Amino acid sequence: MADAPTKRRIKVPKVVNGIESIVEIEVDDTAGPQWGNRDQFTLIGKRLPRVDGPDKVTGRARYTHDVRLPGLLYGRILPSSHASAKVATIDTSAAEALPGVRAVIAFAGKQLRYQGDPVAAVAADTPELAEDAIRAIRVKYDVQPHVVDVDTALAAGAASVYTAGNIRAEEPRGDAAATAARLALCAAVVEGEFRTPMQHHSSFETHGVVVDYRGGESATIYASTQGTIGVVGDTARALGLEQGKVVCIVEHMGGGFGAKNGLDLPGSIACQLARKVNRPIHLMLTRSDEFLMGGNRSGSLQRLKLGASADGKLLAMVAEQHKLGGLGGGSQRNQPFMYKVETVYRTMDSVHTNFDSSRAFRAPGCPQPSFAMESILDDLAAKLDMDPIAIRKANISDPVHLRQLDMASEAIGWATGRNKRPGSGQAGPKKCGMGIGISGWGGGGGPSCRVTVTITPDGAVTVGVGSQDLGTGTRTYTAAIVAEEFGLPIKAVRANIGDSRLGNANGSGGSTTAASLAPAVKDAAFNARVAFFARVAPALGAKPEELAASAGKVVSADGKSLTWKQACAALSGTPVVATGQWKIGLSDSGTRGVQAAEVEVDTETGKVRVLRLVGVQDCGLPLNRLAVESQLNGGMIQGLGYALTEGCVVDKVSGLMLNTNFEEYKLPGVMEMPAFTPIIDDNDKRGVIGMAEPATIPTAGVIANAIFNACGVRVRTLPITPDKILAGLAANAKASGGAA
Amino acid sequence: MSADSHNDPNTEPVDRRLSRRAFLRGAGAAGAASALVAAAVDSADHAGAASPEPRRDDSRAAVHKGEINLTLTINGKPRLVTVEPRTTLLNALRYYLDPPLTGTKVACDRGTCGACTVLLDGKPVYGCMILAADAVGRSVTTIEGLSPDGENLHPVQAAFVEHDALQCGFCTPGFVLTVTSVLNANPQATVDEIKHGCAGNLCRCGSYPHIYEAALSAGKTMAKKGAGNG
Repeated sequence: MADAPTKRRIKVPKVVNGIESIVEIEVDDTAGPQWGNRDQFTLIGKRLPRVDGPDKVTGRARYTHDVRLPGLLYGRILPSSHASAKVATIDTSAAEALPGVRAVIAFAGKQLRYQGDPVAAVAADTPELAEDAIRAIRVKYDVQPHVVDVDTALAAGAASVYTAGNIRAEEPRGDAAATAARLALCAAVVEGEFRTPMQHHSSFETHGVVVDYRGGESATIYASTQGTIGVVGDTARALGLEQGKVVCIVEHMGGGFGAKNGLDLPGSIACQLARKVNRPIHLMLTRSDEFLMGGNRSGSLQRLKLGASADGKLLAMVAEQHKLGGLGGGSQRNQPFMYKVETVYRTMDSVHTNFDSSRAFRAPGCPQPSFAMESILDDLAAKLDMDPIAIRKANISDPVHLRQLDMASEAIGWATGRNKRPGSGQAGPKKCGMGIGISGWGGGGGPSCRVTVTITPDGAVTVGVGSQDLGTGTRTYTAAIVAEEFGLPIKAVRANIGDSRLGNANGSGGSTTAASLAPAVKDAAFNARVAFFARVAPALGAKPEELAASAGKVVSADGKSLTWKQACAALSGTPVVATGQWKIGLSDSGTRGVQAAEVEVDTETGKVRVLRLVGVQDCGLPLNRLAVESQLNGGMIQGLGYALTEGCVVDKVSGLMLNTNFEEYKLPGVMEMPAFTPIIDDNDKRGVIGMAEPATIPTAGVIANAIFNACGVRVRTLPITPDKILAGLAANAKASGGAA
Repeated sequence: MSADSHNDPNTEPVDRRLSRRAFLRGAGAAGAASALVAAAVDSADHAGAASPEPRRDDSRAAVHKGEINLTLTINGKPRLVTVEPRTTLLNALRYYLDPPLTGTKVACDRGTCGACTVLLDGKPVYGCMILAADAVGRSVTTIEGLSPDGENLHPVQAAFVEHDALQCGFCTPGFVLTVTSVLNANPQATVDEIKHGCAGNLCRCGSYPHIYEAALSAGKTMAKKGAGNG
């Protein structure tokens, strides 16, 4: 079969382990940018150490928190001490009298709806003086009745969070009577009430900004944000400036996980302070304030009833789902989440409380239903004496999930490692078990980024885009895609990102950054290469379409070549500048994953140790294998925290959160870490797709199932702490007539 | 509902949260004072800078008086810094040194997460839990001092980059210094020993598995070089 007319083969040098050889590759210029054959990549899809790694390990990387400017003042916020109150009086005179305190803002008369709702703010010469000023402010509150937990909020006579009440119900789905009738005919029916707490993002760099405004018509804002471009408009509005006069800079940012979008509370208060004194303001939340006003993953209350045929086919489900997003609506996908059930009746509502509003958090609305559905599915499997993988396969049609279930099963050693029945394993106080579950996410990219590639006659190559790097490796794949296009080492390309002047870009949310940005970078690099070849071709006495760039050289079809430097020198003084935009076909959407866990439960102490976590994940074209593995591990670790250690603890009586710090809000640490097996599903040959979100979806359910398999205890309320294991063991012993 | 008596302006300040560090700051006043005497630090007590607001406890009121000039030994060099006695080493590095050293990160500011880890006489300590005055006469190594020229990375830094032992990077300086200290003591440290050594550092992005890989790899490099003096 003849090649398509747009394709041709060309010989180029290739360097492997320092040895150069000539290989033939296929190029396809006229069809526009395409990723081409993955086997030909020298950078993309390899294990690439991140290009900003040296800056991050030496302390050179400048985060928003690190920005220092002449005349900088340090801001701080006084959060409400009550979940529901009105500011009756506020006396800031003592704070204003403190030396070094330059600005005080008081929100007199404000209705406060959650602990953390800002009451006042200050700016002072040093962080310590700002803290002094906050402590010197005297507030008298008119304390009002509060509600901070779902049971109270749902009860008759509860205090109203909003005038419209505490419950915002959606239309029920399905036929209640038909579903009940179907359940009555099922061979096996299980039910359970599942609760998940609010999880806190706990980004290591807190929310905040440094706003450089000194009066006048322009400002620069440094922000710890997931959306560099989005902050510009917000800031312009807050400072009363034209949008074109505001620049946002996000060189590095210390984690977001969904919580950092827009100017946000600290940003808008910093702008108010800056306007007041016409001086730059540094306002980064304290850790405690971050817990109180930085958002959360909404909690959930889910009551599920699930029935199946004798061979495990899911026939009927009744699902009562409550989203617990505090003042926000919360987020929760519909049950039965990723499985197929023939007949479903479902109710869904948001239950409001006097607590900080929920925000997007890595796979919003997914870990909650995943935990409940994966759990109840294994209860059903146990009742039917089925293998959990078999019952999943009986209710999934997606071939990717079916394939990945086998991959995860093999990696964890399911066939021999799993107890045939929950708790049927080894004798002795320590019991091991395995669990498995599935995930998925849409993601995908769209036309939002504008990328510029510049090649200067001295040989320098730069690529610029407004996008930010949350720690996902954006800067690295941006450089890699351009370097790949020109056959250069990654070091030869400088990636400038995180600056609103560099071009439009989307905010990082929904795993869309890579799928939106990478195609635009590829397009810009492709356009730059075509323009570059047109300019360089005469120097090689060749036609532009006969050139190729590889291993640091520009080569013509007849074997003549120039080094990169020589080729750039032929630009005769004028740089090549090319732009690029998102192109269809370079990205895709829809990812799938499967995770499996092995745990050990100490039945004497109730302590759970996760021994191994396996994560199988597809992501189309993996731009940087090392970074994908880092994200896959990271997603599982956040899921492990969700399963075993994390959760906002809010006291019903006082209405206050009790664990606004890292001692009592327990992030998983080194001692909780299992062995990890991150597996990139290379069967997926599509374009670029983000994968940060699905990596954290199934982990909690998978661990809960492994615990069930280990010791026969089903814990339906996260986090699964030792007391819940011991209570479950005691209940099981009692149910089986006291035989432990 | 009635007014909240806890926040009656005549009784006490609104912010009654007592953090572990706030307690130590108060308790540290005596310690700091004695450290100052011992080190013969130049005390520049500006009476005008005293807080006009009487504090609830006297030790804290004492802390608020004036500024002190300290000479700290940071990354092998004497650095002059003017701080209040209550200023932590972390804040002295980040806010008071000129130019500041911002590689030492602040994440919890109360001795839990390890993002502010520095080496004090070679041992990892939380910069937020030590008063700057208490570091006088001791050797402070920050992340900026591990590879002074910034080009030739320390084996631990190089291994962190190579193994992608970081994502957002905010916990990274603390982890690098902690791992360096563990490997300085024993370049052949096992994974369990490395974990034990890092038990006081947290990472939210979840880079732990790559951190162990990096530490093991760096240990091999350091053992080969017979370094151990990082």
